[in-house]
Amino acid sequence: MPKVTIDGTVVEVPAGTNLIEAARQAGVAIPYFCYHPYLSIVGQCRICMVEIEGAPRLAIACATPVTDGMVVRSETSARVKEARDAVMEFLLANHPLDCPVCDQAGECLLQDHSFTEGRDTTHMVETRRTFPGLERRLLGPHIVQNQNRCIHCSRCIRFTQEISETAALTYKSRGNHAFIDTFDGQPFTDPFSACTADVCPVGALTIREFRFRKRAWKLRSTPSVCPGCSIGCNLWIDHHERTVYRFTPRENPAVNATWLCDFGRFLAESLNETHCLHPLHRVEGQLHRVSWGEAMRALALDVSAARTLRVVASANLSNETLFLARELFVRHLKGELVVPVHPGEPRRMKNGKGEWLYSRDAHPNSEGARRLGLELVDGERLARFLYGAADLTVILDPTAHPYLSTAEALQLLRVSPTLSLARTNHPTAEVASWLLPVASLASDEGTFTSSGGHVQRFQPAFSPAGEARPAWQILQLLARAMGVSALDLDSPAAVFAAMATKEKGFSGLEWERLGGGSPSTYREHQHVG
Amino acid sequence: MEPVLLRARGVPNSRHIDTYLAAGGYEGLKKALTMDPEAVTKEVLDSELRGRGGAGFPTGRKWTFVPKEHPGPKYLICNADESEPGTFKDREIIEYDPHLLIEGIAIASYAIRANTAYIYIRGEFVRWARILETAIAEARQRDILGASVMGSNYRLDVWVHRGAGAYICGEETSLIESLEGKRGFPRLKPPFPAVVGVFGKPTVVNNVETLACVPSILTRGAAWFASIGRPRNTGPKLYCVSGHVRRPGVYELPMGVTFREIIEEHCGGIRDGHTLKAFFPGGSSAPVMTPDQIDVKADFDACAEAGSMLGSGGVIVLDDSVDMVEAAANLAHFYAHESCGQCTPCREGSDWAMDILDRILEGHGRPEDPATLLRICQYASQGMTICPLGDAFALPISSIVKKFPYEFERHIAAATPRPPKKLPVLPWAGPRPGFDGQ
Ligand SMILES: Cc1cc2nc3c(=O)[nH]c(=O)nc-3n(C[C@H](O)[C@H](O)[C@H](O)COP(=O)(O)O)c2cc1C
Ligand code: SF4
Ligand code: FES
Repeated sequence: MPKVTIDGTVVEVPAGTNLIEAARQAGVAIPYFCYHPYLSIVGQCRICMVEIEGAPRLAIACATPVTDGMVVRSETSARVKEARDAVMEFLLANHPLDCPVCDQAGECLLQDHSFTEGRDTTHMVETRRTFPGLERRLLGPHIVQNQNRCIHCSRCIRFTQEISETAALTYKSRGNHAFIDTFDGQPFTDPFSACTADVCPVGALTIREFRFRKRAWKLRSTPSVCPGCSIGCNLWIDHHERTVYRFTPRENPAVNATWLCDFGRFLAESLNETHCLHPLHRVEGQLHRVSWGEAMRALALDVSAARTLRVVASANLSNETLFLARELFVRHLKGELVVPVHPGEPRRMKNGKGEWLYSRDAHPNSEGARRLGLELVDGERLARFLYGAADLTVILDPTAHPYLSTAEALQLLRVSPTLSLARTNHPTAEVASWLLPVASLASDEGTFTSSGGHVQRFQPAFSPAGEARPAWQILQLLARAMGVSALDLDSPAAVFAAMATKEKGFSGLEWERLGGGSPSTYREHQHVG
Repeated sequence: MEPVLLRARGVPNSRHIDTYLAAGGYEGLKKALTMDPEAVTKEVLDSELRGRGGAGFPTGRKWTFVPKEHPGPKYLICNADESEPGTFKDREIIEYDPHLLIEGIAIASYAIRANTAYIYIRGEFVRWARILETAIAEARQRDILGASVMGSNYRLDVWVHRGAGAYICGEETSLIESLEGKRGFPRLKPPFPAVVGVFGKPTVVNNVETLACVPSILTRGAAWFASIGRPRNTGPKLYCVSGHVRRPGVYELPMGVTFREIIEEHCGGIRDGHTLKAFFPGGSSAPVMTPDQIDVKADFDACAEAGSMLGSGGVIVLDDSVDMVEAAANLAHFYAHESCGQCTPCREGSDWAMDILDRILEGHGRPEDPATLLRICQYASQGMTICPLGDAFALPISSIVKKFPYEFERHIAAATPRPPKKLPVLPWAGPRPGFDGQ
C-alpha cells in the first residue's frame, strides 16, 4: 500500500485512495464542497487545493490519487491557504450572507469553512447576482430551492444521475447564471428527492417538511434503523426535547450508503404520535385507567387461566421482543403465535457498491421473525388464525397488518377477551379488554434483522411518553408477574445475550459490536459527504 | 511562399472533388495507405507539425498517445468549432478546399487506426456544414471514404456534427461531451482523450488547419514541411488579421514571420491617421502585446518567450483610438457569457471582473479596482480551473491591467462614487405560484 506524508503525518492507505480520504486518516481535514465519497468526482469547487512536493502547480485533492512517497502540504502551505482564501472569496462573492435566516445554518459546509478559515472582508462591491423567482421555489413535493445560495457543486445533479438514476435534475443556462431545475420542467418527484437536500452542502435545497422546524445545532441524534421496510436502512433520529424532527441517513456501505428513500425518511414524525399513555382496562364496556402493577397482576391471572391462548406478534417488533414473546407465550404457556407479514409497496435502496437492494415486505424485522422460527402468515392466514376460538388473544402490535383494522377482524376479536399493546389510536382499541401503552421506535431499544441478513441495533432517543413502556419490557413485566424468572431479563442487552446463546441465527454476535455508534449531536456526523 | 492551405482560394469551382483531384488531391492519402500507420505518424512527427487549435501541441506526439493495442474502436475528431474571437481561418479552408480537410482527416484516422471520424462544426456554420456534407458525399461516391478507402481494406466513415453555438465546446473534452449528446462541460484531465475520449474510447482531437497540413506532409515529405519556419515551429500558418489594419483578412505565411511583416506589409499597416496601440497575437485568449514587441516572430516559441501565445493565430490589432479598459470589458463580457460555470474561479471570477470593468466604464471606478482585477485573474488561472478557459479570460485581462495601468488610472481619477442603489419597493403580489408560504 502506498505511503503518503500529509502535513508531516505519514499514513499508509490503499492504492487509489484520493488525498481527501488519505488526509482524513492522517487527521488533516481538507475542505471540500463538490466532493462526496459516494458520488463521482468532478473537481468543480476548487477549495480542496493542496501542494504536492515536486509539482509546480497546486492540485485538487479530490481528484488526486495517492502515490507512494507523495509529500502533500495542506494546512502547512501558505500557497494553499492563499488559493483557498481566493476560492472562498469567489464563492462568497455572490452567495447571500443570510445565515441567520437560512435553515441550513449549523450544518452548512460553506458556513463551517467560513467560520474556521474565512475572513470577514471581501473585495466584492458589485451588486450580487440573484435569481428572481427562484429564491423560494418548490422544486418538488419535498424540496424547496433557493438558487441564490447555490454554489454550483452539482452534487444534487450527480445524485439523481448516479444514485437514484432518474437524472431528474440538471443545470439550465450557463456560467454564473446556471441554475438547478428538473430536466423536463416537471415537479421533482424522484423517490429519493430529499437526499438531494442532504447532499447539498449549502441551503440551496432544503427539505420542506423540516424547514424552520428546528435549528440544526439544537438537535441530538440517536442511531436507529428505518422502520419502513425490510431493507433496514441505517439512520439517525434527530430529536430535541422528546420530539422527533427528522430522520437523516447514517452511513452504512452495506445497506444504504448514506441515503434514505423519501417514504422512510418522512416516517420520522409519525414516531411523535402517542395517543395511548396509560394502561387501560375495560370494565362493563368502559375503559378505566389502571396502574401497571394492577394491570400486570390481573393479566398474570388472565393469561395463566386461558386454556387456549393465541398471539398476533409483528414483524415490526425487535428480535428481543419476539424472542421474549416466543419463550413466554409458546414455550412456556403453549399458546399459538403468528407473525403477519404485509408485502407493502415495493421499495429499493442503493448500497455503497452501487447495487440495488429490494424490499421483501413492509416490515423492518420479518427476517428476524423467520430466523427465530416463528410462523409468518399473510392476511388470508391471519384471518383464519383469528377465526379459530381462543380464551385470550394477545395483539403485540395492532399495526402489524392492515387486516387487523378491518371490520371483519374486529368482529372476530370481539368474541373473546383481547389484550392489545397500543401507541396510536387504532380500531382494535374498541374491542380490546386490556390496552397497554407501548413506546415508539424512538424510545425502544433492540435489534432488527434486515432482509440482507444484517442484525442491526437501534437505540432509544428519549424516554417514552406518559406511562408507555417498550414492548420488550411489557413482556418482561408479565413474565415477572407470572413468576417465569428465566425471562425476567432487565435489558434488551440481556435478552440479546440469552438469545445469542440459544439461537443459531444470533450465535457469535455481541451486542456491543452491533454498531449504531454512540448518540451524538448532529454536527459530528453530518454530511458523510 | 506559394500557398499550401489556401491553394484553392480563387480557383473556380474549387470545392468540387474533380477540381481537387485534378490538382493532385488525395495523393497523400493514396501514399499513406501504402505505408504502415506508424510510418505515417512518424512522418508527421518528423515534420514537427504543431496543433493549430491553440495549444500548439506536437500533432505526431498526440497520435502516438493512442494505445496501439486497444481492442475496441478509436475515433478521430476534427475540431471545427472555431469560436475564438478574432479567428476565422478554419472556415476559409472549408469554404475553398473541403477535400483538403477530408484528406487530412482520412490520413490522420488511418494513422491512429480509427474507422470513424467526426467533424464537430460550430452551430452557426450552417453553410460550411453543408459544404462538408456535400464533399463527404462526393468522396464516398468515389470510394475515397467508406468501406474500402481508395481500394484498400481500410474502412472510414466521416460524419459532420453541428454544435449548438457554445464557445466552450471548442475545448476538446467539452466538445467530446457535446458530441456524446451531453451538456458541454469540460472533463477533468487525466485521463486525456487520447486514452479515454468520446464514448470512453481513445480519441484524437485535431484542429481543421492542423489536419489540412497533413496531406502535403505526405506528398512533399516531412523535410519540406520542416524547412518552413524554424525548428519546432514549422510549416505554413494561417494568420487571421482583424481590427484596425487597412487590409484585414486571412493570410497564409510561413511560420515565423514577424508581426511587423504581417501588420505592415501584408495588411497594409494601421488605418490612416492612427498608430498601433496593442495587438493580440493569437485570438482574444492570448495576453496582449504592445508596439515594442512588433518584431517578435509569429510562431509558438517566440510568442511564448514574449509572454504571450500564438494560440489560434488570430491577430487582433488595436490602434490608438481604442480605450483599453473598454477592450478589457469587451473581453470580460465574452468570457463571462461563455464560461460553462463548473469551476468556482472561472464562473465567479469572469462575472465579477465584468462587473468591475463595467463599473469603471460607467464612471464609478475605485482606486483598488486594478488590484482586485489582478487578484481575480491570478486565482482564475494557472491550474485553478478544470479547463484553460480560466486562463483564457484571466491572462489577457491581467495583461491589459499590467500593460496599460494609466488607462485605468485615467478612468478612476475622473470617477464619481456610485450613487447608492435605490431598491424598489415591490408591491406585495401574494405568494408565488407553487410555493406554500413556508
Ligand atoms: C476554451 C477553449 C476553446 C477552444 N476552442 C477551440 C476551437 O474553437 N477550435 C479548435 O480547433 N480548438 C479549440 N480549442 C483547443 C482544443 O481544446 C484543442 O486543444 C485542439 O482542438 C487540439 O487540436 P490541435 O492539436 O490540432 O491544436 C479550445 C480550447 C479552449 C480551452
Ligand atoms: S474553467 Fe471555466 S469554462 Fe473551463 S470548466 Fe471551469 S468553469 Fe467551465
Ligand atoms: S474540487 Fe475537490 S472538492 Fe471540489
